[in-house]
Amino acid sequence: MAHAFRRRPDGSLACRLDGEEKSIIAQVAQETADLIRGDLGIDAGGDALRRAAESEDPLRRLEAEFAGREARTPSDSAVRRLFPAASEDPDLAAEYRRLGQRDLAEGKIADLRRIMSILDATGGEHGEVVLDEDEALSMLRALNDVRIVLADRLGLQRDGDFDTVRMLQQIGEQVEGAESSGDDEHVGSDIVIAVYELLSWLQESLLRALD
Amino acid sequence: MPVDLPRAEMRTRTRSDTAPEERTTLETEGPWCTVVWNDPVNLMSYVVFVFRRYFGYSRVVAEQLMMQVHEDGRAIVSRGSREKAETDVQAMHSFGLQSTIERAGED
Repeated sequence: MAHAFRRRPDGSLACRLDGEEKSIIAQVAQETADLIRGDLGIDAGGDALRRAAESEDPLRRLEAEFAGREARTPSDSAVRRLFPAASEDPDLAAEYRRLGQRDLAEGKIADLRRIMSILDATGGEHGEVVLDEDEALSMLRALNDVRIVLADRLGLQRDGDFDTVRMLQQIGEQVEGAESSGDDEHVGSDIVIAVYELLSWLQESLLRALD
Repeated sequence: MPVDLPRAEMRTRTRSDTAPEERTTLETEGPWCTVVWNDPVNLMSYVVFVFRRYFGYSRVVAEQLMMQVHEDGRAIVSRGSREKAETDVQAMHSFGLQSTIERAGED
Protein backbone atom coordinates (compact mmCIF):
# COMPACT_ATOMS: atom_id res chain seq x y z
CA MET A 1 0.00 0.00 0.00
CA ALA A 2 1.48 3.33 -1.04
CA HIS A 3 2.06 6.21 1.37
CA ALA A 4 2.06 9.77 0.03
CA PHE A 5 5.21 11.84 -0.43
CA ARG A 6 6.23 14.02 2.48
CA ARG A 7 9.06 16.48 3.05
CA ARG A 8 11.59 15.16 5.57
CA PRO A 9 13.45 17.42 8.03
CA ASP A 10 16.60 17.22 5.88
CA GLY A 11 14.64 18.60 2.89
CA SER A 12 14.46 15.34 0.96
CA LEU A 13 11.14 13.93 -0.24
CA ALA A 14 10.03 10.45 0.74
CA CYS A 15 7.14 8.14 -0.04
CA ARG A 16 6.51 4.47 0.68
CA LEU A 17 5.66 2.00 -2.06
CA ASP A 18 5.23 -1.73 -2.00
CA GLY A 19 7.21 -4.05 -4.26
CA GLU A 20 4.42 -4.45 -6.77
CA GLU A 21 3.84 -0.70 -7.07
CA LYS A 22 7.55 -0.10 -7.64
CA SER A 23 7.78 -2.77 -10.30
CA ILE A 24 4.65 -1.48 -12.08
CA ILE A 25 6.00 2.08 -12.15
CA ALA A 26 9.42 0.89 -13.34
CA GLN A 27 7.75 -1.21 -16.01
CA VAL A 28 5.56 1.56 -17.44
CA ALA A 29 8.56 3.92 -17.34
CA GLN A 30 10.58 1.36 -19.32
CA GLU A 31 7.74 0.90 -21.82
CA THR A 32 7.44 4.66 -22.27
CA ALA A 33 11.18 5.01 -22.90
CA ASP A 34 11.09 2.10 -25.37
CA LEU A 35 8.08 3.61 -27.14
CA ILE A 36 9.86 6.96 -27.56
CA ARG A 37 13.08 5.34 -28.77
CA GLY A 38 11.26 3.03 -31.14
CA ASP A 39 9.02 5.67 -32.67
CA LEU A 40 11.69 8.35 -33.07
CA GLY A 41 14.30 5.81 -34.21
CA ILE A 42 16.72 6.99 -31.58
CA ASP A 43 18.81 3.85 -31.20
CA ALA A 44 18.76 3.08 -34.90
CA GLY A 45 22.34 3.26 -36.14
CA GLY A 46 23.45 5.04 -33.01
CA ASP A 47 26.84 3.36 -32.90
CA ALA A 48 27.42 3.62 -36.62
CA LEU A 49 26.58 7.32 -36.44
CA ARG A 50 28.94 7.87 -33.54
CA ARG A 51 31.76 6.18 -35.49
CA ALA A 52 30.96 8.29 -38.54
CA ALA A 53 30.92 11.45 -36.43
CA GLU A 54 34.43 10.62 -35.22
CA SER A 55 35.64 9.68 -38.69
CA GLU A 56 38.69 11.26 -40.34
CA ASP A 57 36.65 11.72 -43.49
CA PRO A 58 34.93 15.14 -43.45
CA LEU A 59 32.16 13.89 -45.77
CA ARG A 60 31.28 11.07 -43.39
CA ARG A 61 31.25 13.52 -40.50
CA LEU A 62 28.92 15.80 -42.43
CA GLU A 63 26.68 12.84 -43.23
CA ALA A 64 26.57 11.89 -39.56
CA GLU A 65 25.66 15.43 -38.61
CA PHE A 66 22.70 15.47 -40.99
CA ALA A 67 21.56 11.99 -39.98
CA GLY A 68 21.70 13.04 -36.35
CA ARG A 69 19.50 16.01 -37.11
CA GLU A 70 16.86 14.05 -38.92
CA ALA A 71 13.75 14.31 -36.78
CA ARG A 72 10.70 12.42 -37.85
CA THR A 73 7.18 13.33 -36.84
CA PRO A 74 6.10 10.63 -34.37
CA SER A 75 3.75 8.03 -35.84
CA ASP A 76 2.36 6.79 -32.52
CA SER A 77 -0.44 8.97 -31.15
CA ALA A 78 0.97 8.90 -27.61
CA VAL A 79 4.45 9.91 -28.79
CA ARG A 80 2.83 12.76 -30.76
CA ARG A 81 1.39 13.99 -27.47
CA LEU A 82 4.85 13.88 -25.89
CA PHE A 83 6.41 15.62 -28.90
CA PRO A 84 3.67 17.92 -30.15
CA ALA A 85 4.05 20.23 -33.15
CA ALA A 86 5.51 23.47 -31.83
CA SER A 87 3.68 25.60 -34.40
CA GLU A 88 0.60 25.56 -36.60
CA ASP A 89 2.94 26.51 -39.43
CA PRO A 90 4.20 23.13 -40.76
CA ASP A 91 7.57 24.54 -41.90
CA LEU A 92 8.24 26.11 -38.54
CA ALA A 93 7.10 22.92 -36.76
CA ALA A 94 9.45 20.80 -38.92
CA GLU A 95 12.37 23.14 -38.32
CA TYR A 96 11.66 23.04 -34.63
CA ARG A 97 11.65 19.24 -34.61
CA ARG A 98 14.96 19.21 -36.45
CA LEU A 99 16.56 21.51 -33.91
CA GLY A 100 15.03 20.35 -30.67
CA GLN A 101 13.36 16.97 -30.81
CA ARG A 102 16.49 14.94 -30.21
CA ASP A 103 17.42 16.86 -27.06
CA LEU A 104 13.84 16.72 -25.84
CA ALA A 105 13.73 12.94 -26.33
CA GLU A 106 17.06 12.45 -24.58
CA GLY A 107 15.84 14.52 -21.63
CA LYS A 108 12.64 12.49 -21.33
CA ILE A 109 14.48 9.18 -21.61
CA ALA A 110 17.04 10.34 -19.00
CA ASP A 111 14.20 11.19 -16.56
CA LEU A 112 12.53 7.82 -17.13
CA ARG A 113 15.83 5.94 -16.69
CA ARG A 114 16.61 7.91 -13.58
CA ILE A 115 13.38 7.00 -11.78
CA MET A 116 13.77 3.37 -12.88
CA SER A 117 17.20 3.19 -11.30
CA ILE A 118 15.99 4.97 -8.12
CA LEU A 119 13.16 2.43 -7.79
CA ASP A 120 15.53 -0.47 -8.55
CA ALA A 121 17.96 0.71 -5.88
CA THR A 122 15.27 0.46 -3.17
CA GLY A 123 14.85 -3.28 -3.79
CA GLY A 124 11.76 -5.37 -4.30
CA GLU A 125 10.29 -5.00 -0.81
CA HIS A 126 7.82 -2.51 0.60
CA GLY A 127 9.91 0.47 1.55
CA GLU A 128 10.80 4.12 1.41
CA VAL A 129 11.71 5.93 -1.81
CA VAL A 130 13.76 9.05 -1.05
CA LEU A 131 14.40 11.82 -3.57
CA ASP A 132 16.40 15.01 -3.53
CA GLU A 133 14.94 18.13 -5.17
CA ASP A 134 16.47 17.39 -8.57
CA GLU A 135 15.33 13.76 -8.52
CA ALA A 136 11.86 14.97 -7.55
CA LEU A 137 11.76 17.07 -10.73
CA SER A 138 12.73 14.02 -12.80
CA MET A 139 10.05 12.02 -11.01
CA LEU A 140 7.37 14.67 -11.73
CA ARG A 141 8.26 14.87 -15.42
CA ALA A 142 8.56 11.09 -15.82
CA LEU A 143 5.25 10.38 -14.05
CA ASN A 144 3.63 13.00 -16.25
CA ASP A 145 5.04 11.53 -19.47
CA VAL A 146 3.89 8.03 -18.52
CA ARG A 147 0.43 9.40 -17.65
CA ILE A 148 0.30 11.08 -21.08
CA VAL A 149 0.96 7.71 -22.75
CA LEU A 150 -1.62 5.88 -20.59
CA ALA A 151 -4.19 8.65 -21.21
CA ASP A 152 -3.69 8.22 -24.93
CA ARG A 153 -4.26 4.46 -24.63
CA LEU A 154 -7.43 5.14 -22.62
CA GLY A 155 -8.60 7.52 -25.35
CA LEU A 156 -8.75 10.59 -23.07
CA GLN A 157 -9.33 13.61 -25.30
CA ARG A 158 -11.14 16.19 -23.18
CA ASP A 159 -11.47 17.26 -19.57
CA GLY A 160 -13.69 14.83 -17.70
CA ASP A 161 -12.98 11.89 -20.04
CA PHE A 162 -11.21 9.98 -17.29
CA ASP A 163 -14.28 10.26 -15.05
CA THR A 164 -16.35 8.81 -17.88
CA VAL A 165 -13.89 5.95 -18.40
CA ARG A 166 -13.97 5.18 -14.69
CA MET A 167 -17.77 5.34 -14.56
CA LEU A 168 -18.05 2.96 -17.52
CA GLN A 169 -15.61 0.63 -15.80
CA GLN A 170 -17.78 0.59 -12.67
CA ILE A 171 -20.93 -0.07 -14.66
CA GLY A 172 -19.04 -2.84 -16.45
CA GLU A 173 -18.11 -4.39 -13.13
CA GLN A 174 -21.71 -4.34 -11.96
CA VAL A 175 -22.91 -5.96 -15.16
CA GLU A 176 -20.15 -8.55 -14.98
CA GLY A 177 -21.00 -9.17 -11.33
CA ALA A 178 -24.64 -9.81 -12.23
CA GLU A 179 -23.90 -11.99 -15.23
CA SER A 180 -20.50 -13.26 -14.06
CA SER A 181 -19.35 -13.20 -17.67
CA GLY A 182 -15.71 -14.03 -18.26
CA ASP A 183 -15.02 -10.96 -20.38
CA ASP A 184 -11.25 -10.72 -20.59
CA GLU A 185 -11.29 -7.76 -22.93
CA HIS A 186 -11.83 -5.27 -20.14
CA VAL A 187 -9.08 -6.64 -17.93
CA GLY A 188 -6.36 -4.79 -19.88
CA SER A 189 -8.01 -1.40 -19.65
CA ASP A 190 -8.87 -2.00 -15.97
CA ILE A 191 -5.14 -2.30 -15.28
CA VAL A 192 -4.37 0.83 -17.30
CA ILE A 193 -7.03 2.74 -15.34
CA ALA A 194 -5.62 1.53 -12.02
CA VAL A 195 -2.04 2.44 -12.98
CA TYR A 196 -3.16 5.85 -14.26
CA GLU A 197 -4.87 6.53 -10.93
CA LEU A 198 -1.83 5.40 -8.93
CA LEU A 199 0.52 7.63 -10.95
CA SER A 200 -1.85 10.64 -10.76
CA TRP A 201 -2.13 10.22 -7.00
CA LEU A 202 1.63 9.87 -6.59
CA GLN A 203 2.34 12.92 -8.76
CA GLU A 204 -0.21 15.02 -6.86
CA SER A 205 1.26 13.92 -3.54
CA LEU A 206 4.78 14.86 -4.68
CA LEU A 207 3.52 18.29 -5.81
CA ARG A 208 1.95 18.86 -2.39
CA ALA A 209 5.12 17.84 -0.60
CA LEU A 210 7.15 20.22 -2.80
CA ASP A 211 4.77 23.15 -2.28
CA MET B 1 -6.82 19.45 -17.08
CA PRO B 2 -8.70 17.08 -14.85
CA VAL B 3 -11.41 18.93 -12.96
CA ASP B 4 -11.87 16.64 -9.98
CA LEU B 5 -8.90 17.82 -7.96
CA PRO B 6 -9.28 19.16 -4.45
CA ARG B 7 -9.47 22.89 -5.07
CA ALA B 8 -8.64 23.76 -1.48
CA GLU B 9 -5.07 22.60 -2.10
CA MET B 10 -4.41 25.45 -4.45
CA ARG B 11 -5.26 28.01 -1.82
CA THR B 12 -3.27 26.38 0.91
CA ARG B 13 -0.71 28.88 2.07
CA THR B 14 2.69 27.61 2.98
CA ARG B 15 6.05 29.05 3.85
CA SER B 16 7.07 28.98 0.22
CA ASP B 17 4.53 31.76 -0.42
CA THR B 18 6.94 34.26 0.98
CA ALA B 19 9.67 33.14 -1.41
CA PRO B 20 11.54 36.16 -2.76
CA GLU B 21 11.22 35.20 -6.45
CA GLU B 22 7.81 36.85 -6.73
CA ARG B 23 7.31 38.33 -10.17
CA THR B 24 3.82 39.51 -10.89
CA THR B 25 4.00 40.85 -14.44
CA LEU B 26 4.45 38.84 -17.60
CA GLU B 27 7.17 39.79 -20.00
CA THR B 28 5.53 42.06 -22.52
CA GLU B 29 8.39 42.69 -24.94
CA GLY B 30 8.86 41.10 -28.31
CA PRO B 31 6.88 39.86 -31.27
CA TRP B 32 6.66 36.13 -30.39
CA CYS B 33 4.47 34.33 -27.87
CA THR B 34 4.59 31.01 -26.08
CA VAL B 35 1.11 29.49 -25.89
CA VAL B 36 0.12 26.66 -23.54
CA TRP B 37 -2.97 24.61 -24.48
CA ASN B 38 -5.42 22.73 -22.29
CA ASP B 39 -5.26 18.94 -22.21
CA PRO B 40 -7.05 16.30 -20.15
CA VAL B 41 -3.93 14.87 -18.49
CA ASN B 42 -1.87 17.55 -16.79
CA LEU B 43 -2.91 18.16 -13.19
CA MET B 44 -3.83 21.74 -12.30
CA SER B 45 -1.31 21.71 -9.47
CA TYR B 46 1.38 20.48 -11.89
CA VAL B 47 0.70 23.27 -14.40
CA VAL B 48 0.92 25.87 -11.60
CA PHE B 49 4.14 24.22 -10.42
CA VAL B 50 5.67 24.40 -13.92
CA PHE B 51 4.73 28.07 -14.42
CA ARG B 52 6.18 29.02 -11.05
CA ARG B 53 9.26 26.88 -11.37
CA TYR B 54 10.23 27.63 -14.95
CA PHE B 55 9.07 31.24 -15.44
CA GLY B 56 9.48 32.28 -11.81
CA TYR B 57 5.91 33.61 -11.74
CA SER B 58 4.24 34.24 -8.40
CA ARG B 59 1.64 31.77 -7.21
CA VAL B 60 -1.15 34.23 -8.07
CA VAL B 61 0.05 34.79 -11.65
CA ALA B 62 0.71 31.07 -12.18
CA GLU B 63 -2.77 30.16 -10.92
CA GLN B 64 -4.39 32.81 -13.13
CA LEU B 65 -2.57 31.48 -16.18
CA MET B 66 -3.47 27.90 -15.28
CA MET B 67 -7.17 28.85 -14.94
CA GLN B 68 -7.01 30.68 -18.28
CA VAL B 69 -5.61 27.54 -19.94
CA HIS B 70 -8.27 25.43 -18.24
CA GLU B 71 -11.24 27.68 -19.02
CA ASP B 72 -10.30 29.30 -22.35
CA GLY B 73 -8.36 26.30 -23.70
CA ARG B 74 -5.14 28.30 -24.04
CA ALA B 75 -3.06 31.08 -22.55
CA ILE B 76 -0.05 33.12 -23.60
CA VAL B 77 2.53 32.37 -20.94
CA SER B 78 5.48 34.40 -22.22
CA ARG B 79 6.47 36.86 -24.94
CA GLY B 80 9.80 37.80 -26.37
CA SER B 81 12.21 37.17 -29.20
CA ARG B 82 11.65 34.14 -31.39
CA GLU B 83 14.63 32.49 -29.75
CA LYS B 84 13.17 33.02 -26.29
CA ALA B 85 9.77 31.69 -27.34
CA GLU B 86 11.42 28.60 -28.86
CA THR B 87 13.36 27.99 -25.67
CA ASP B 88 10.18 28.36 -23.62
CA VAL B 89 8.18 26.01 -25.87
CA GLN B 90 10.95 23.42 -25.60
CA ALA B 91 10.85 23.77 -21.81
CA MET B 92 7.05 23.37 -21.75
CA HIS B 93 7.38 20.24 -23.90
CA SER B 94 10.03 18.88 -21.53
CA PHE B 95 7.42 19.14 -18.76
CA GLY B 96 4.81 17.47 -20.98
CA LEU B 97 2.64 20.55 -21.51
CA GLN B 98 1.08 21.14 -24.92
CA SER B 99 2.71 24.32 -26.18
CA THR B 100 3.19 26.25 -29.42
CA ILE B 101 5.06 29.31 -30.60
CA GLU B 102 3.17 32.03 -32.45
CA ARG B 103 3.63 35.58 -33.65
CA ALA B 104 2.21 38.24 -31.36
CA GLY B 105 -1.17 39.47 -32.56
CA GLU B 106 -2.19 36.14 -34.12
CA ASP B 107 -4.67 35.37 -31.40
